Amino acid sequence: MAHLTIVWIASAFCWGFLIYLLPRLTRLLALLGGVGSLGYGLVLAGQAEPVRLRLLDHFGVSLFLDGLTSFFIITNALVTLAVIFALWESEKSPFFFAQVLMVHGSVNVALASTDWLSLYVALEVLSIAAFLLVVYPRGERVIWVGLRYLLVSNVAMLFYLVGAVLVYESHHSFDFVGLGEAPPEAMALLLLGLLVKGGVFPLGLWLPMTHGEAEAPVSALLSGVVVKAPLLPLIRCALLVPQVEPVVRLVGVGTAVLGVLYGMFAQDTKRVLAWSTTSQVGFILAAPEVGGFYALAHGLVKAALFLLAGQLPSRRLAVLQQEGMPRALGIPWTLACCSMAGFPLLAGFGAKVLTMQHLLPWQVWGMTGAAVGTATIYAGAFLLPWKPLAVPLTAGFWAAMGVLLGGLAVANGVYDEAFTWESVWKSLVIIACGWGLYWGAVRRVGVRLPLGLERLEHLLGMMSVGLVVLFWLVWSW
Amino acid sequence: MFLEAAVFATILLGFLGTVWKQNLMMKIMAMDVMSTGVIAYYVLAAARKGVFTPIFLPERRVDYADPVPQAVILTAIVIGLSIQALMLVGVMKLSRTHPTLEARDIELKNS
Repeated sequence: MAHLTIVWIASAFCWGFLIYLLPRLTRLLALLGGVGSLGYGLVLAGQAEPVRLRLLDHFGVSLFLDGLTSFFIITNALVTLAVIFALWESEKSPFFFAQVLMVHGSVNVALASTDWLSLYVALEVLSIAAFLLVVYPRGERVIWVGLRYLLVSNVAMLFYLVGAVLVYESHHSFDFVGLGEAPPEAMALLLLGLLVKGGVFPLGLWLPMTHGEAEAPVSALLSGVVVKAPLLPLIRCALLVPQVEPVVRLVGVGTAVLGVLYGMFAQDTKRVLAWSTTSQVGFILAAPEVGGFYALAHGLVKAALFLLAGQLPSRRLAVLQQEGMPRALGIPWTLACCSMAGFPLLAGFGAKVLTMQHLLPWQVWGMTGAAVGTATIYAGAFLLPWKPLAVPLTAGFWAAMGVLLGGLAVANGVYDEAFTWESVWKSLVIIACGWGLYWGAVRRVGVRLPLGLERLEHLLGMMSVGLVVLFWLVWSW
Repeated sequence: MFLEAAVFATILLGFLGTVWKQNLMMKIMAMDVMSTGVIAYYVLAAARKGVFTPIFLPERRVDYADPVPQAVILTAIVIGLSIQALMLVGVMKLSRTHPTLEARDIELKNS
């Protein structure tokens, strides 16, 4: 298994660079990368023992892969495959596909590594590749959005580096375990870096605009897998170090509530989806021990929704409500919205039930509110009228939908104990409350929430505030 | 102690620059100042127990510097350089339509 792991980690990058040499085989090579990861993820999920690798003594690279990791790896593989299928007939250059594989490979490395330095390298490579994908159309707007993303994430990673060396000084290795013995300032700095990269409130507010402005397939990749890469290390730290766990749970609840609040009142379809990603990140962090399954359910659905949103005739929600959506997109769109809201028989339901069962008592009210809010957001999207509009849909697009929604149906079987009368009833009540809220209030009042926090200066300035608050949280717990 | 204070001052001033400076170019420069501070901190961490180049010779009995932080920061320098280069290319493109490169102007027009 150790050899297989190393081959798997290297393979995505190898296929990616091979694309430059053999541009004719671009799509095939890209597909190979995705299929390889899917295979590895499934093999890993079947392993009883976790895989541990330590290269070059205690200060070198250490990798750790277990069942939790396998959820993230499978998500990464399925979303990448879907994006490749969706772009199969497009005019995208081999460069684009090579970058998709770079993103895929660096997410894999970030998921597997359990030392601060390998994680740093993986996250930085990831942000470079993601930047290149975002700015691929080369418009002024996307360049600005990409620059903003790169500046914010790089500044956050500089703080992270200071934290990493503080861990090294107290523990003489860069292992995650060293965080427990490290001084509180190291913890605050490292957490800051991961929270900013993971798009967690109120530090990661670069996320909604970046995910909203990128092209649909790129948004699918960003929301489906790129934000997940810093989340798994956060979950790991929460499980390893007792002081970190309450902080992660707390920011999880805050993110979930804030994300739905903004998502409810956003007017642009892609912005709604992006804000919903913010809130779902909160759900993943709120119950760290079961975050893997939630990440899988969310990654697949969100990627499908972004791909579908790219085919809608308009981005404005108000226009869509008047003119309707193409009938051909209706069924996948409804399925995806239902899974997001936690409707039984779809993976979103099992994931929500599992998360809700692992909450601490003080989290329950906040997360229930966030679940109702999620249902409200998707009530607006769900109730679009279907019209016989013609959209040019390729076979690749349907293959992508098949991969994502098929994955969703299969994943439903992972946690079949969720189907008790009580949980089915509870989730239906939550959805009903959400819809009621939508019909009763949200639809009628046009609230414009202030978007000042999304400005570049505030994004950077919030880091200093976040650092102080995190230090205080870690120090006092 | 003095060195450590100077290093932290560099990091903080760089960070302040990224927030305070209006020009996009200056923001990127400030980010570079910040990363210089971080690199200096790694070098300082490596030199805590000795400052001699960590090349082991049996006849040399001196206090060696710790090679690990040095090796590690080399990677970070390379990554920082490439990110800097990418951002400057982006700024070059933006400067065609926004010659002053005021971050606030660009933001207003693109949000």
